Amino acid sequence: MKKVIALLLAMVMMMSLVACGKSSSDETSKDGSSETIDLTMWCIATESDSNRHAYEASIADFKAAHPEINLTWEATQNQEYKTKIKAAVAANEMPDIFFTWSCAFLGEFVDAGRVYCVDDVYAQYASELPEVMMGNVKFDGKYYGVPTTLNIVGMFSNMELLKEVGYDEVPATYEELIECCDALVAQGIIPFGCSGKETWCVTEYLESIIEKTAGASVLNDIFAGNASWDNDDVAKAVGIFQEMIDKNYFDPEGIALSNDEVKANFIAGKYAFYMNGTWNCADFDKAGLSDKIQVAEFPVIDSSKSKLGELIGGPSDTLAVAASSKNAKVAAESAFEIAKGICRYGYLDGNGLPAWTPDYDYSSINSLTQSVADIVANSSQMVLFGDTAMAADNANIYLDYVSQIYSSVINGQEFVDGLTKDIK
Amino acid sequence: MKKLYSNKLTIILFILPALLLFALILFAPIFVSGYYSLFDWNGFGKMNFIGIENYKELFTSNSIGFLKALGNALLLALLSVGVQLPLALGLALLLGKGRKGERAFLSIYFVPVLISTVVIGQLWLKIYNSSYGILNAFLRSIGLDNLTRIWLDRDTALGATFVPILWQYVGYHMLLMYAGIKSVPVQYREAAMIDGAKEGQINRYIILPCIKPILKISTIFAVTGSLKSFDLIYVLTNGGPLHATEVPSTLMISMLFLRNRYGMGSTIAFLLIILCFAFALIIGRMFKDKEED
Repeated sequence: MKKVIALLLAMVMMMSLVACGKSSSDETSKDGSSETIDLTMWCIATESDSNRHAYEASIADFKAAHPEINLTWEATQNQEYKTKIKAAVAANEMPDIFFTWSCAFLGEFVDAGRVYCVDDVYAQYASELPEVMMGNVKFDGKYYGVPTTLNIVGMFSNMELLKEVGYDEVPATYEELIECCDALVAQGIIPFGCSGKETWCVTEYLESIIEKTAGASVLNDIFAGNASWDNDDVAKAVGIFQEMIDKNYFDPEGIALSNDEVKANFIAGKYAFYMNGTWNCADFDKAGLSDKIQVAEFPVIDSSKSKLGELIGGPSDTLAVAASSKNAKVAAESAFEIAKGICRYGYLDGNGLPAWTPDYDYSSINSLTQSVADIVANSSQMVLFGDTAMAADNANIYLDYVSQIYSSVINGQEFVDGLTKDIK
Repeated sequence: MKKLYSNKLTIILFILPALLLFALILFAPIFVSGYYSLFDWNGFGKMNFIGIENYKELFTSNSIGFLKALGNALLLALLSVGVQLPLALGLALLLGKGRKGERAFLSIYFVPVLISTVVIGQLWLKIYNSSYGILNAFLRSIGLDNLTRIWLDRDTALGATFVPILWQYVGYHMLLMYAGIKSVPVQYREAAMIDGAKEGQINRYIILPCIKPILKISTIFAVTGSLKSFDLIYVLTNGGPLHATEVPSTLMISMLFLRNRYGMGSTIAFLLIILCFAFALIIGRMFKDKEED
């Protein structure tokens, strides 16, 4: 019970989730009839997705509770899904319910008037879904989606490898982390694994380092477009990241590897650390690594500007409803029910923390997810992932510069200068 | 029959269905792409007419990198014509002579064309893997450890991506040329042999001139195919790392679906169409001149 309260308090404390864009949507309320209603749903929970079980279980529960609704759903892989949903939005041939990432990704659909406003339906669920969790689906004061789970970037540490260089605990300070990495390199162990083929993986490192150097508020303002990239602390943070690369802290093969391959290497014990989303907890638990791995947040680099508890992440996974749906209101109610179920099963499976207030026994969750819950419970501020927070064009320009940093083609100053010039 | 041809209404009626289909499938998308290329549009929001601004930005913006992508595609076209087609021609000439096991070799060389590109991409990803890939393993086994490397990194990714593309379609061009060689009447070859012509001379002065139309088609396919190349690059590197393997098609997909710049994506699509038509015309003209000479 303490943990529930702690978690709730933490959620309420998340004060500065990235501000989202504005929108102008035609709110068209279309009530469905009481006859059997056909609904379609698209998502990214493919067979290999860690959330697959949560989707299957939630939809099974929903179908059992709502025999009057005939729900058909299909899943497409993450990258392909982005193409598919954008093409569907462009053609205005969207499914009734669709998975989306919150903030800018959803915001562009909302701007185009393609998303149904769920204010009325949210009012029925407000007691179970804290308003602070709805910040990233709020545009011009209206809600356009239902969050499912909440994830942050965690630094996963292989404790067996750390023990080999004399560390029984995850380094708590930046200086200790550097000493630990030096010891690992001297021992022939690669400290970090990071996929260069999927640039979002590099941002998990870079954004954490920027946040712990410049502070969460600064990074939040930059992502939200309220501040310029031309910031000395950001340039300094990028320099720190590149210094880590130059000191061979990162697997050089990572540049040509996918995230799945890097993750498999970490599971196989090739790297001491792996920074990535906390949705990985379930996979590490399934691989039998819960005793061997610990999760922590990246240590503070400049304590005058940042502090522990400033995290990268937030509620991003969202279900939304097409404005063109013939049964939009029913679809919205269904989306809330299904999202609630996904949140529940996803949390119990260890795929992230609940955006919805848990009203069930979750004492069985794996120890890694429990650790993440503790980190979030002590957090003061979260900054949503940069590529989700920014509009698509800017996000991809940003990712381009990040990959140039990872390949050491440009330095920190060139990074901030380039982004200042190119980000619109 | 003459009466039938003189009736213009009949001609129009018979041609109309095919013409409509042709116009809808070919010309309408080109026209629409050209139209969208004049707008700043994210694909689903408001369209802003900006004239030729997309074209200007495409050729001047470093963050888009179109010129580099186009350069990569042209390099691939050059390699296709300079390496792939001679290889295909060599194989076709060898098999065209009616050697033992001709059909078996023909099938074997054609197999890569039949295999799904995604499968080929995954196969070559494994070959190039720096830890367990067969390429590095082979180099190590023959003592060339110093040559082992990360093949899909910035320096070698372009070459590493081109190898499977060239390899995959050698069989395709070989089959086209083989069919051409087989259609050359055997009497020509026999007559040349009686006159004392050697194998090389027969190929040079009899076979090649006879299959010139096929060579033209193969060259057009190789060049336009290179300009449009997409699938293998998408699977192997997705245009990375750092745009090292970017080609116009991968850039177009990135603009359309990652950066939500539908207008810019349409600009690239329209330019690609123009380039393909232009190269097809130039190649056609080059072969025509030679035929006339």
